[in-house]
Amino acid sequence: MVIVRRVKPLPYWIIPIIALLAGIAISVIILYVLMGASPAAVLSAIVYGFTRPGVVAKTFVALTIVGIALLVSFKGSIWNIGGEGQITFGLMAATWVALFTALPYINPGLAQVSMILLAMVAGGIWALLAALPRAYLGLDEVPVTLIMNYIAYYIVDILVRGPWLGKHVYNYIRTDTIPAQVMFPQVPGTTMTWDGLFLLIILFVGVWYLLRNTSIGLRIRILGNNPNLLRSSGISVPLMIIVALTISGFIAGSVGALYLGGDVYRISYPVEAHTANYGYTGILVAWLSMLELIAVPIAAYIVSALYTAGIQYQILVGGHLGQLLTAGSAIVDVFIGSILLMYTILITISEYKIKIIVKR
Amino acid sequence: MAAEANNAKPTFLSPPQEGKKPIVSLRGITKRFPGVIALDHIDLDIYPGTVHALLGENGAGKSTLVKVLYGIYTPDEGEIIINGRPTRLTSPADAINMGIVMVSQSPQIIDTLTVAENIILGLEKYNHFVPVTKVYKTIREESKRVGIKIDPGIEVWRLSYTQKQLVEILRAILLGAKVLLLDEAITYLPIEEKQRFYKFIRRFADEGGTVVLITHKIYEAMDVADKITVLRRGKVAGHLDRKEATIEKIRALMFGERSAEITYERLPTAQPEPKTILEVKDLWVMGDFGGYAVQGVSLEVKKGEVLGIAGVAGNGQKELIQAIMRLRPVMKGRIIYNGEDITRKTTYYLRVNGVGYIPDLPAKYGVSIENSIIENIAVLPVYSRGIINWDKIRELTLKLIKEFEIKTPSPDTPVKFLSGGNIMKVLVARELTVATNLLVAYNPTRALDEATAIKVRKIIKEKVLKNKVSAIIASEDLDEIFQISDRIAVMNSGKIVGVFPADKAKREEIEHLMVM
Amino acid sequence: MFESIASFIVGVSAIFLAYYLAAVGHGLMEKSGVLNLAIDGVFTLGVAIAFAVSVYTFSVPLATFIAMIVAALFGLMLAFITTKLPISHGAAGLSTMFLGYGLAALVGLPARQLQINGRSLATIQPSLGGTWIWFYVVAFVVAIGIWYLVEKTKIGAAIRAAGENPASAEALGVNVLAVRLFASGVGYALIGIGAAVFELAYTQVWSQGAGMGYGWIAFAISLSAGRHPILILISAMIFAALDKYRFLIAATYNLPPDVGKMLPFVAAIAAMIIFMVTPLKRKLAPPKSLGKIYFREERTV
Repeated sequence: MVIVRRVKPLPYWIIPIIALLAGIAISVIILYVLMGASPAAVLSAIVYGFTRPGVVAKTFVALTIVGIALLVSFKGSIWNIGGEGQITFGLMAATWVALFTALPYINPGLAQVSMILLAMVAGGIWALLAALPRAYLGLDEVPVTLIMNYIAYYIVDILVRGPWLGKHVYNYIRTDTIPAQVMFPQVPGTTMTWDGLFLLIILFVGVWYLLRNTSIGLRIRILGNNPNLLRSSGISVPLMIIVALTISGFIAGSVGALYLGGDVYRISYPVEAHTANYGYTGILVAWLSMLELIAVPIAAYIVSALYTAGIQYQILVGGHLGQLLTAGSAIVDVFIGSILLMYTILITISEYKIKIIVKR
Repeated sequence: MAAEANNAKPTFLSPPQEGKKPIVSLRGITKRFPGVIALDHIDLDIYPGTVHALLGENGAGKSTLVKVLYGIYTPDEGEIIINGRPTRLTSPADAINMGIVMVSQSPQIIDTLTVAENIILGLEKYNHFVPVTKVYKTIREESKRVGIKIDPGIEVWRLSYTQKQLVEILRAILLGAKVLLLDEAITYLPIEEKQRFYKFIRRFADEGGTVVLITHKIYEAMDVADKITVLRRGKVAGHLDRKEATIEKIRALMFGERSAEITYERLPTAQPEPKTILEVKDLWVMGDFGGYAVQGVSLEVKKGEVLGIAGVAGNGQKELIQAIMRLRPVMKGRIIYNGEDITRKTTYYLRVNGVGYIPDLPAKYGVSIENSIIENIAVLPVYSRGIINWDKIRELTLKLIKEFEIKTPSPDTPVKFLSGGNIMKVLVARELTVATNLLVAYNPTRALDEATAIKVRKIIKEKVLKNKVSAIIASEDLDEIFQISDRIAVMNSGKIVGVFPADKAKREEIEHLMVM
Repeated sequence: MFESIASFIVGVSAIFLAYYLAAVGHGLMEKSGVLNLAIDGVFTLGVAIAFAVSVYTFSVPLATFIAMIVAALFGLMLAFITTKLPISHGAAGLSTMFLGYGLAALVGLPARQLQINGRSLATIQPSLGGTWIWFYVVAFVVAIGIWYLVEKTKIGAAIRAAGENPASAEALGVNVLAVRLFASGVGYALIGIGAAVFELAYTQVWSQGAGMGYGWIAFAISLSAGRHPILILISAMIFAALDKYRFLIAATYNLPPDVGKMLPFVAAIAAMIIFMVTPLKRKLAPPKSLGKIYFREERTV
């Protein structure tokens, strides 16, 4: 078997669609074989997921923002696998503003903005810590950002078990619930919040402008293609690595604030068991978008629809196993895993073709 | 099979059979890459006991052809016939099994492994789980016989370039090579070492082995080859016997209808002004592998002159150029640009103060091929700080495309879709525009075919003359140095060993200084 | 702090062996140049499979064997697609991780249902009949065996060559695909056995998500020891003790127990930095082509 670069690449949108269909097909088979799930029921859950924008909205907003965040660093060929840790740090910072400052009672609007901004700063700092050894020592960012996710979880765990342990929590280990003033208002008829919607629009336009019209954006894109050119042009490559990864963490951090203010309202111990895994799922979104900013919301919608479908399936037809499943994550994981794997494999055929060579 | 041959014979190989049947034949070999046909129906016969040179300029398809022969590439069409039998080669392991071994320009042996580990990897007679020390004895014996001194247990990163190439050869012999593919393997060796390799090649062929020598240097082919095949634009331009080959004939085959354009006569000499633009004083710079690559170099470039730095690869030119561009730390000494000490300044400072830079391997270091022409121009800090004014840069790009006759559908075309010559023009156009004061270049035309290379040299020199710009150009190609320089400095082992006005410099003297 | 050294050694034996096998398997695979981000997912799946097979068949050897085989198949798949196709190792690994998490739940839940209805689970007790001694013997034998294999034999040289520079390795006569299949297959078989030991000898219970995160700890253990089979013995021991006696240590020194959970990860990053900036780099830095796309048919300009 030999793989040859195609003389003319296939249109870029074909692969995500094929991968999606193939991944769903594989998931249906896996669910049928292992759980005896009827394919019709699985497919109807998927249809449900895709046709309920209002239900999907919350996940959609979060995943689009994470997708945009990761896109910035991926454009620079800096593989930020640390979205999860950056979100967790954002969650921590937002919680601090909401529970341990007087701001929510003085000016709720300002408090909400501060939660988001501080979450971004915290996410940015956490990413910066991974960026420094990458930039100056050449330490691969993939294991570093990944490992730092766990360090972030445990830092927050220590806080929640220790100084941040709530006073009105019965026997649960968790923080107090944030004041009602800083619970983000919901957009009627949907699961998303106004704060999330505005943030999404601002970040989308901002990143579009950054990548298109600023020297930082141009340099991040060139960093991804040929850092040697930056070097010979007199632009510091380590600095650009730091900028790309820090901006990525900065944007991802905001999702921590959205998760707190629009979803969970408190941190429960252990945080790693209560995360929505947006940092990991966001990687799927960024990859499915083929690193095209315009395609990020589309990819995010697809993934969040599948996410919803997994949960819906469990509610509707999980049967006796459904009671044992927690939060439908298993089915979601099967969907996400098989689509992403199919995508990863199939992406090759857009640029390469496979020739079988028979040995004589 | 390789191992048996290696066990039984006291000499390199069995004597050549009479009747002269080709050991390797290629029939209609074709290989396409996006945008190019690298090999276009190549037919070739290689006979045992001969040294067969494959000549061609950069981009003629030599390297692709060797990679096909070594199983790295599989051809799209055509047949490889080895010992009369059609054969599919899908990996180097296949080729090695057929007795074909390649030694390439950059040593393939792996730095973190020992010599013995590198060698045993290809030896089929050892099973996977034997200890590597099993092969030590064989290596010691064989290396003594061939006349190479090497410790099998030493890690490769401790060896010099020449030693690494020797290990490659030793490896080929131990693999029982019948056909030795030398892909520019000796082109970059110092002269004395080259002579040793020539002797070895001769002996190998006399004992019945076959050598395929891939080179773009006509002299190298004339020195050792029995037969010469010239490639041009992916096709066989002609086959020659050593006896009938002359430089003129080969040139005509190599460059075809363009051979008339290819002249190495000097470009017009500049009239420099007394002002010194660049001054380097007693400069010491470290190389990549420890040790000083630049050892106390001092030189001067006047306003409006081109200083050429001649030298064999690896004599410190690369490090000197990088130190001047502030891409490599200076351990001792000073660099003064335009009256200002820049020894501790950054590349950025130079780039926004009138210095243009054409690095070695331009496609690798000078442009980003995935980005468009306009983006490749906008990246320079003089053009983009903060928010980019795309309209202004587009205007500039269009102007450069016109002025330098860059062939492209649009300024937004990714550079990878341009031909090598046009990519080079993008780079040269950009750098000459920012080089209002000084142009620094290293092997500025290495990857180009000759006709384009000469055109690019002309463009550079014209600009220098017209705008009174200074230039320091290091090149491993002596033709280039002679053609473009006003003064020539010769660099050897990290030192400047002579400076000559170009119009009075003698080629023999400079060549002598380069290898002394 | 502990009742005795002996009880400590017996106490940590199971988790030590589980960590050791998973970490050394991970290191072996990465030595060949395949970036392994699937470890946590496949480890979790291995745990679930060991549990399920043990419930269904009540056989510890069979449960361990099946977990090993399934894990090895994942290793082979990862090595194949990342070597034969020009695709991102990170993407392949993470997607496999998700798949592993999902499959683990689907495999484990029916068995869990049976268990709730009264079926029991075959386990292995480290403290009974000196089993724990065998745990250490296995770890040491594997350590010396893998070390010898990687550092001294021809195939070890081939594995390192494939990790340093697969294109050169191929030119030197190495079949990179075969070598990576071997390293990843054996590596993941060890990860699978490690997962089975974790389930059947250490935790001995299962609920959805069991084992999640422990694969990453093995990952961190391997990196903090520079993927070296002998050094991993030490880091696995330290982090096994930290896991087993997390609460005891926390109570004794008045530290949050999460500090203990965090330590392997902090140590891994610290060790990676140390290996990068000191002369240890030659032996313990990651292989140069780890996670790089290896693709033969590319034209080199």
